[in-house]
Amino acid sequence: MIEIHQVSRLYRRGVDEVHALEDVSLQIPDGTFVALMGPSGSGKSTLLNLIAGLDQPTSGVVKVGAQNLNGLSEDQLAAWRAAHVGFIFQFYNLIPVLSAIENVEVPLLLTRLAKADRRKHAELALSIVGLADRKHHLPNQLSGGEQQRVAIARAIVVDPELIVADEPTGDLDAKNADDILSLLRQLKSEFHKTVVMVTHDPRAIRYVDQTFHLEQGVLVNGATAVEHA
Amino acid sequence: MALPLKYNLRSLFLRKMTTLATAGGIALVVLVTLLLLSLVAGLRHMLISTGRADKLVVLRKGASSDVMSFITRDAYQAIRYLPGIAQTPEGEPLVSPESISQPLLPTKAGGQEIVLMRGVTPIGFQVHSNVRLVAGRMPNPSVNEAIVGVAAARRYQGLEVGDSILFGNYKWNIVGTFSSNGTAYESEVWLDVGSLFNNDAKRGCSGIRLVVAPGADQEALIRRIADDPRISLLAQSEIAYYEEQAVGARVLYLLTLVLALIMGVGAVFGAMNTMFAAVTHRTAEIGALRAIGFSRRSILASFITESVCLSFLGYLGGVMLGVCTIFAINSLLQGLAFQLPSFSTVVVSLRISPTSLLVAFGLAIFMGLVGGFFPARRAARLQVTEALRKG
Repeated sequence: MIEIHQVSRLYRRGVDEVHALEDVSLQIPDGTFVALMGPSGSGKSTLLNLIAGLDQPTSGVVKVGAQNLNGLSEDQLAAWRAAHVGFIFQFYNLIPVLSAIENVEVPLLLTRLAKADRRKHAELALSIVGLADRKHHLPNQLSGGEQQRVAIARAIVVDPELIVADEPTGDLDAKNADDILSLLRQLKSEFHKTVVMVTHDPRAIRYVDQTFHLEQGVLVNGATAVEHA
Repeated sequence: MALPLKYNLRSLFLRKMTTLATAGGIALVVLVTLLLLSLVAGLRHMLISTGRADKLVVLRKGASSDVMSFITRDAYQAIRYLPGIAQTPEGEPLVSPESISQPLLPTKAGGQEIVLMRGVTPIGFQVHSNVRLVAGRMPNPSVNEAIVGVAAARRYQGLEVGDSILFGNYKWNIVGTFSSNGTAYESEVWLDVGSLFNNDAKRGCSGIRLVVAPGADQEALIRRIADDPRISLLAQSEIAYYEEQAVGARVLYLLTLVLALIMGVGAVFGAMNTMFAAVTHRTAEIGALRAIGFSRRSILASFITESVCLSFLGYLGGVMLGVCTIFAINSLLQGLAFQLPSFSTVVVSLRISPTSLLVAFGLAIFMGLVGGFFPARRAARLQVTEALRKG
């Protein structure tokens, strides 16, 4: 369960104060696929960053599973993210000089796994996303959809409970966007992951369990359950 | 946990031209440093190996080399039969009076250099027992014949066997070429002057080389010569004498280090520029790595490692260039001319010593560390959320 309780995030830009989030409270049960939606500047990415442990709230409580993220040091947050969170970015953020399988192995460098075991885990993750036969390709030898699949494999390779995705379909065509959303749905349904996604893509509504709408830093609808066909 | 080295190496390879340009700058610094250190090492090796532990150099008190010294016939006779001096099987003391001159000789390259001419008597060839003929024959006494060191023969015009030179109102026929295990003597011309003193009490020599008898107390002999109020001479071991002559090498060594550091600072800016560009180019990558869980320390270490790899590449390039250049200097130019404090020229073969390689390595790594530190610190200090937005 992800619990966000009366969270605010204030940024200072020179003498100005920007209220990115104001008094947001929500709960996301384990094993659900949720979308954070809203116009640009609504605070959805800020909320995602707080849930992922990339940022700290100005006030309020962020709790993911048993872990209260408030007050953790930068190193503690980094260690927590390494063990519990998988990241998917809009522009994939793969390391261009490493092959697909080497990119997938990167998060495993933070574990105690031996090299052979790391390779086995990375191959398994790549096979889950359907790219076992492309493992030795560099990112620039893969299509956008394939690169995002590699990024998903990298996100799941340490078997985290939580996967956060920031505009994962933002750089893809319709066909690839549908494939990626299906894959994220599969992670939730087959592997019981909690998936939190920021998106502008209206197609996402067909795949998620729940959407949260934000506007100007405020949650405007709480927990809207979405019915799936 | 550190990021894998292949990440850094491949990142360097990805930016081939920038990497080559920066590594090339470092390589040039390494090359120049190595060349200068090799000159210093060659000079020191040559001078210090010239000295032998069982030989003494005797000069007038206050003279720092043969050139500044003058020893009278009486003084020579006074020390010739001192106890502790080795003798030939025939009972002649191994004491060699030597007369030094420094004329200008034309080099084969078209210049002129001061060359040390050593006038010796027949006993001199026994005192300098490490001198070996490599061509021709030894001079006959008192018939104006000369032998030439191999380095001098290679460097100067008209010093081949069969040639003759005009010097001191006489024509000297060159009858042989000698080597002496790479010592400074190989840059000299030795003239057989028969007897330096004849019957003229006013004539003298520049200095004396003598051999200490096996088992004799060398220090006592040195004290005995120094303490004799009649002769005002000073003896010192030949090793100590040539170490003093090598003082120029020490100064050159220090100058080399200063020069290397100055050049190194320039190369540091080159490395820094390259690494700053790398950090800017890879901001989103860094953001992703930090999000995944890599600490600031890992990012710092990774970028410093990359910079050190860059400088190591430069070091390897510099060493390869250095080895080729030194080989070319030693084989094509027969070494470099170097002027001693006594103004005579010695021909030095450059030597790459382990110390030179280590100093150049330390300099290259220093350039990598300093050049990489500030960009790496910038990379490590990036805010994750800000860095990810740059994607």
